[in-house]
Amino acid sequence: MSLAQAALLTVVTAPGAVFIILASLWLLGWVPSERTLSRTTGLTFAVCVLGLCHLVWIFATTNVAAITLTFGNWFAVHEYRFPLVLMADRVVLPFLAMTVVLSGLIGQFSATYLHRESGFFRFFLLLHLFAFGSLLAFAAGSFDLLIGGWELVGITSVLLIAFFDQRPAPVENGLRVFGVYRACDIGLLLAVFTLHKWAGSASFAAGMPRLAGTQSTVVCLFLLLGAAGKAAQIPFSGWLPRAMEGPTPSSAIFYGAISIHAGAYLLLRAQPLLAETPAASICVIVIGAATAICGTLAGRASADAKTSLAFASLTQVGVIFGEIGFGWKSIAVAHILGHALVRTLQFLRAPSMLHDYHRMHSAIGGEVSRERTEDLLPEQVRVWLYRWAFDRGHLDTILDRWFIYPLLELSRLFSRLDSMGRFSVERRAKPSMPLRSPAEQGVE
Amino acid sequence: MAGTEWISGARSLDWIAIGAPWLAAAGLRALRGHARAVGFVAALVSVAASALRLLAAPRGESLYEALMLLFSCLTAGATLVLPKRDCDSGTVGGILFLLGATLLAYSSENLLVFLIGWVLSTIPFIMKSWLGARSWRPAASLWLSNLVLAGAIGLIYEAGHAFSIDTLSGRSPGGMLAFGLLVTALIFRKGISPAHAWVADAAESSPPIPTALLLNGHLGALLVAKLILPLFPRTAGNLFPVLSWLAMATALYVAIRALTENSPRRLLAFLALSQSACILAGLESRTPEGITGALVHWFVVTISTMGLFGILRLLEVRFGENLTASHYLGLAAHSPRLAVFFAVFGLALVGLPGTLSFCSQDLLIHGTLMSHPVTGVVLPIATAMNAVSIFRLFARLFLGRRRTGFTHAADALPRERWALAAGVLFVVLGGLFPNLIVAQRSAEADRIGATQTPRGPLGLISTRIK
Repeated sequence: MSLAQAALLTVVTAPGAVFIILASLWLLGWVPSERTLSRTTGLTFAVCVLGLCHLVWIFATTNVAAITLTFGNWFAVHEYRFPLVLMADRVVLPFLAMTVVLSGLIGQFSATYLHRESGFFRFFLLLHLFAFGSLLAFAAGSFDLLIGGWELVGITSVLLIAFFDQRPAPVENGLRVFGVYRACDIGLLLAVFTLHKWAGSASFAAGMPRLAGTQSTVVCLFLLLGAAGKAAQIPFSGWLPRAMEGPTPSSAIFYGAISIHAGAYLLLRAQPLLAETPAASICVIVIGAATAICGTLAGRASADAKTSLAFASLTQVGVIFGEIGFGWKSIAVAHILGHALVRTLQFLRAPSMLHDYHRMHSAIGGEVSRERTEDLLPEQVRVWLYRWAFDRGHLDTILDRWFIYPLLELSRLFSRLDSMGRFSVERRAKPSMPLRSPAEQGVE
Repeated sequence: MAGTEWISGARSLDWIAIGAPWLAAAGLRALRGHARAVGFVAALVSVAASALRLLAAPRGESLYEALMLLFSCLTAGATLVLPKRDCDSGTVGGILFLLGATLLAYSSENLLVFLIGWVLSTIPFIMKSWLGARSWRPAASLWLSNLVLAGAIGLIYEAGHAFSIDTLSGRSPGGMLAFGLLVTALIFRKGISPAHAWVADAAESSPPIPTALLLNGHLGALLVAKLILPLFPRTAGNLFPVLSWLAMATALYVAIRALTENSPRRLLAFLALSQSACILAGLESRTPEGITGALVHWFVVTISTMGLFGILRLLEVRFGENLTASHYLGLAAHSPRLAVFFAVFGLALVGLPGTLSFCSQDLLIHGTLMSHPVTGVVLPIATAMNAVSIFRLFARLFLGRRRTGFTHAADALPRERWALAAGVLFVVLGGLFPNLIVAQRSAEADRIGATQTPRGPLGLISTRIK
């Protein structure tokens, strides 16, 4: 293993190793102090930054196209193989850098922000798992391995949305996000399956597999489904404002920086296929444009800072999708990096936004001009648009009415069918009282 | 000579593995004391005998030995996790009786012995005074499966004049009628739709840990691997896709059904049923990936659902039996380790990366889609719904405002913690180093696949098994 490969391995696995160590110690009964946790986090990401610097140096000083690290097959059954390949090229490197630097920054920020919060340890544990998942997804040399990181990002995202579990709303919203993620991940699974079936492999470490026209379109559309779910593109945009229930640092890193751009990264990886399939490229552009318009309108009708920032993120990611659809790969990567950094800063400043505004108003001696572009529109159009934007493009309503409610109704129907003929041989009183303590119930 | 010695040695180990729990069960009926210790020691003897049997088994022919070891370990774990309230001689005796019967079915190479194992494993759950459910459906389904299997084996003997599975292999003894009866027995025992309702009834009104053991014996899947595929390769080739569709329909039906279920026990039963229906679909897929995925998933489902039922029972004992998923109970604040174990087992059941089920689901979905390009998509959809249901159950049980009524509610006790940690270690280490398990199961999948013939008119593709 060369030094560059060792650096790549360190960058990807260090947060995962720390997660496993911390989780194991906790299960054995040891809970580290806040200071230990924040120092461990700082050290972990400092090591990652060092490794990353080495990788950047290699790419800056040599003409190497990609650094690849192969561990053989994770498992194999006859011709079906799950290759364990890590890869860093000039597309991956910015994403690795973004993840490492922002995760480290968020770790340091959260040490103060979540001081004495009851879920402090849980947050840092999930931050490490999230960083590992993201790095694995970005450095994966095949779509098979990418799914592994992708799913870890999804589950940590959901657990952090439900972080403040004393209120039902964050948990309910977490469940909703989880449902959308899992539904859209089916697209990714099908894309990997079709790649294996038609190209014999889902690996892209040695270049994307070549496919015929229709096959390429089918794979791209499946990938688009997966990407759209993770990037909250239309028609799945409804989950993003719900995800704002999580702590601000996690919102910043997930929905301002890394997780929200994972979908765009997936499409960047599939760019060689997309470039050959105009139909799929048009779908990407249309979805991106529609999301950008919907995002900017909904953001203007949002009442709270984090939700407007979420919609602003959505708008930019929609534009990035459009750029990828047009094949402007480098512009898209630069856009992602710039957007991630600015949006993270905005999210982190969101809790003190009012304070910032007050300071700005006192500095300029009054309020900022309230003239807006939409004031140029006729009153009737404005009202209609406002209603549309206020309900966030009716996206959740449509999803509920056409998909979720019918599914739940079907479930209730099945329940009624199952309960036909269900009677006890001995009648048993159904406990209906609220949960009580064992002492109250009179049991030992 | 060496072969004869190996067979007689293996037989002795089988009898030790089967006899020890039965002797202990009989002893418990007489002694009525130290139930946990007796149960644990008897299960450990089975574990040791099964492990020796597995070590001596030739490569690619160790599926049943591995299953024996798994089930013995599971029973040993169950005796540790069993709460004090349930740890009477009747329950532990029932568990040990079930262990002996299941091991008998696993180790049998004879139809009659298989039938005896099959029937005996149901006895504790048919007798209402032992571990039987209050609802009529579990007993009825188990009775029906016993009678139908006995009828099928009777027909097979009538046509083939032998009970040995090796002798009857590939001869389709008893023809379509025997095949149909075997499939019917499988449907009733495994809880394939439309005979699925008994599983949830049993989980709700029987002791949950023994019931989880009964479900995780997976004798229905064993019937497919041990009898149906070897005995009826041609008939199975023509008609098995129908059973596969039924299995996929069951996986989807119960996954949808679970979405609005509020009883934790029923919900877990639905999830277990949905995931174990995937095993059947994989076994039928006729692709090496699908069969291997099914065999690996067999292990994952068994351990995960056992862990989930065990944790649920521990919660019921600590917080009352009226747990519900209709509102947030906030139990994580009282039992954080149980919450983590529950989350890991739950996510392991539905394919979390880093657990063994990620690999098994990957193979299973790949194999099933290869075999059924259109209907195969049902499996990932069902798994996605199951993931939502397990997360909902986790959230409702463990998240929410901390309850104030409990002052002495304990988190996982050391004996519970060790047993649950062993299960978590298996699914996590298996997920990190899956090739150790996948390679073994792949060799066995080849053996099972070799008994299958190319698909007939109802099949969608020709076989890829070589």
